[in-house]
Amino acid sequence: MPVVHFKSNDKEVDVIAGTTVLAAARMAGVMIDSPCNGNGTCGKCKVKITGDFANKIAVKGNCGLSDIENSQGIVLACCTDVQDDVEVEPLERLDNESLQIVSNGQNLVVELASPIHKEYDNQTDKTKVMAGKILLGTEEGNTAKENYGAVVDIGTTTVVLALFDIHSGQELATVSALNPQSRYAQDVLSRIKYASTPEGLDTMYFALINELNHLLIEAADRAGINRHHVYEIVFSGNTCMLHLATRVNPASLGKYPYLPALYGHEQVHAADHGLQASPLAGIYLPPIISAYVGPDITSGILAAQLTELAGISLFIDIGTNGEMVLSKDGSLSVTSTAAGPAFEGMNIACGMRAAAGAIEAFTITDEGLKMNTIGDGEAIGICGSGLIDIVGELVAHDIIGKNGKLKDGNLPEHLAEHLVKREEKTVFSLGENVYLLQKDIRQVQLAKGAIRAGIEALLTSQGVAGQEVDRVFIAGSFGYHLNPDSLIHIGLLPQSFRNKIQFLGNTSKSGGQAFLLNQFVRGKMAEAVKEIHVIELATVDHFDRLFAKCLEFSSV
Amino acid sequence: MANNKEELLKQLADAVVDMDEEKAVELAQIIVAEGIDAYEAIEKGLSAGMEVAGRLFEEEEYFIPELLMCSDAMYAGLGVLKPHLKAKEGAAEEKVKVVIGVIEGDTHDIGKNLVKILLETSGYEIIDLGRDISPQKFIDAAKEQDAKIIAISTLMTTTMDGLAEVIRLLRQQDIREQFKVMVGGAPVSQAFADKIGADSYAVNAATAVRLARQLTDGVA
Repeated sequence: MPVVHFKSNDKEVDVIAGTTVLAAARMAGVMIDSPCNGNGTCGKCKVKITGDFANKIAVKGNCGLSDIENSQGIVLACCTDVQDDVEVEPLERLDNESLQIVSNGQNLVVELASPIHKEYDNQTDKTKVMAGKILLGTEEGNTAKENYGAVVDIGTTTVVLALFDIHSGQELATVSALNPQSRYAQDVLSRIKYASTPEGLDTMYFALINELNHLLIEAADRAGINRHHVYEIVFSGNTCMLHLATRVNPASLGKYPYLPALYGHEQVHAADHGLQASPLAGIYLPPIISAYVGPDITSGILAAQLTELAGISLFIDIGTNGEMVLSKDGSLSVTSTAAGPAFEGMNIACGMRAAAGAIEAFTITDEGLKMNTIGDGEAIGICGSGLIDIVGELVAHDIIGKNGKLKDGNLPEHLAEHLVKREEKTVFSLGENVYLLQKDIRQVQLAKGAIRAGIEALLTSQGVAGQEVDRVFIAGSFGYHLNPDSLIHIGLLPQSFRNKIQFLGNTSKSGGQAFLLNQFVRGKMAEAVKEIHVIELATVDHFDRLFAKCLEFSSV
Repeated sequence: MANNKEELLKQLADAVVDMDEEKAVELAQIIVAEGIDAYEAIEKGLSAGMEVAGRLFEEEEYFIPELLMCSDAMYAGLGVLKPHLKAKEGAAEEKVKVVIGVIEGDTHDIGKNLVKILLETSGYEIIDLGRDISPQKFIDAAKEQDAKIIAISTLMTTTMDGLAEVIRLLRQQDIREQFKVMVGGAPVSQAFADKIGADSYAVNAATAVRLARQLTDGVA
């Protein structure tokens, strides 16, 4: 059998001839970005086959690579079959080395009212662990002081685990890691597909549980506590992630009528899921709103206190799937929209995740271009926040027209030098090998158009005009890095939202914290979720026209 | 008069390309008043204009909003010209039929609607099945309507297998050769189209028209 050697990871794997390089990497446990899950569409799984590769691989299709790349042995891992022993080098992208994860959301004040409490009985020298009036079990000696809980925000890309002292409500440690499931399938839909078979589901489930145990051990270690005194864990995250985390087949989420197999607001035993907390520990799953509006949004509603606020508030989570919640004096309606992965730097020629070398902020000044890269080094790519800034600034300076077209000429001198030809097409140059293509701008239009159309449809469904909105909350760790002006310049948000925008950070985590510390908000949110109007964009009249209108860069 | 006619048809095409609905209506009315053949005006004016619009889209000049506005202008002009088509021409006008829809399990139809508009404005007769359509339904409709092309789209990775199922069923029923199968949508790629044995993969709506022409040997 051919041997595939991943040199820089120092890993080898035997495969059957005809296995793709991507499949070999997954078998070897080597992480190669594959946002399209091996469909040959995204071009992000580029690797280099070193040495004499000519007869050792079979490349399917041209996959959009240049002749130069082909001659250097640069191929897409998903479109290349292994025929003989090969050595594979990942292409230097640095994406996975220093991923920026925001794990400090806005802290909200919650009354401490956990269901878990402990009672020491000095007659027997034992400590009872109670959930409300129910006795969960007893521990030897006096452990009454040690009562901890955890919140896990299971993101599609990253997993954040935070440990709390149940008595004080204080956060003790927060740790994070990449979601290991992304090794097998990157986006939510690919994961639903992968986990639609029992074997696929188990692969996803055990990979995640394994990582959660690592994180739990690491956090307990950092906080200097015994993880066997963690009695409750709240799982927050999108609907699909909650299915995968509890070993529930997510297939029904991926097909109309898009029904969850799980509705949340329930407890399961942590031990049943192999979580190495207290053997008595429970996992609380917050209420699920719909297939594409999950517990992370329920947590967000709680964190932003949308049910309590007077006036009109709009909560938006910007991501591959954009979710938005409108509150009219506490009465809620919600929708979700498929924005695609452009804001994660995917489908963008020089796009990358928020990692070292990514342009994360950008402005145009009288002197020229000003940009910040993560890690302050040389720019090697563009991440989501940088992309929105770049397009926003180019629109604001009329280098991109209202119709999204990159202008051909007539630019002031200090900017003109950045409009260059690349393979006969006009591109905006941002550095030696970093540039923005017309096609990339189109991707931004599609992504922001989807979210803006979702906002407009949601407002219209409730008879609310943009000007009437009192406050706009942007959630999500991605949202934290965004510049509100750029969001308005690209028209993702309307002009009337100016000065009303607040960034809340990771509300999936902060809301999860509220669920952990206060048992009463659980029932309250379950009731609120029952009352939510879910707007299905597919059933909105003339939604395609609205979407097309929202593609424009008009700053209305 | 000849000059005038050529000039008017060119202006009509330009009105479509320029997304000028009012101008298209105004020119169509002049064309009718001048006694110019309505069929010719549709062919050399409106359809020619849409062809240019499609090319501009492929060249990244135009984007979805422009294409929709061009088709608005096209339909507005068509509204004026259609009543003036001579009966025999209407009958002689055997259009190539395309059955189109979004595959079972998926309700995202914006892409499908765009392809439909562009194919329609390029002279194809479209049987739009809508969304969440089972593989067998595509085949039944294609057989019943004697369609040449089956065009299937999906936005979701989770429903892509339905596209393969259509082709599998066609083969199973021994009628694969009767139809050309065109696939498209965000998760679909040329590699996927090749894998399932589709006849063509359209990366966008304008390309779909070009490929449809190739599949039907240039006949629309």
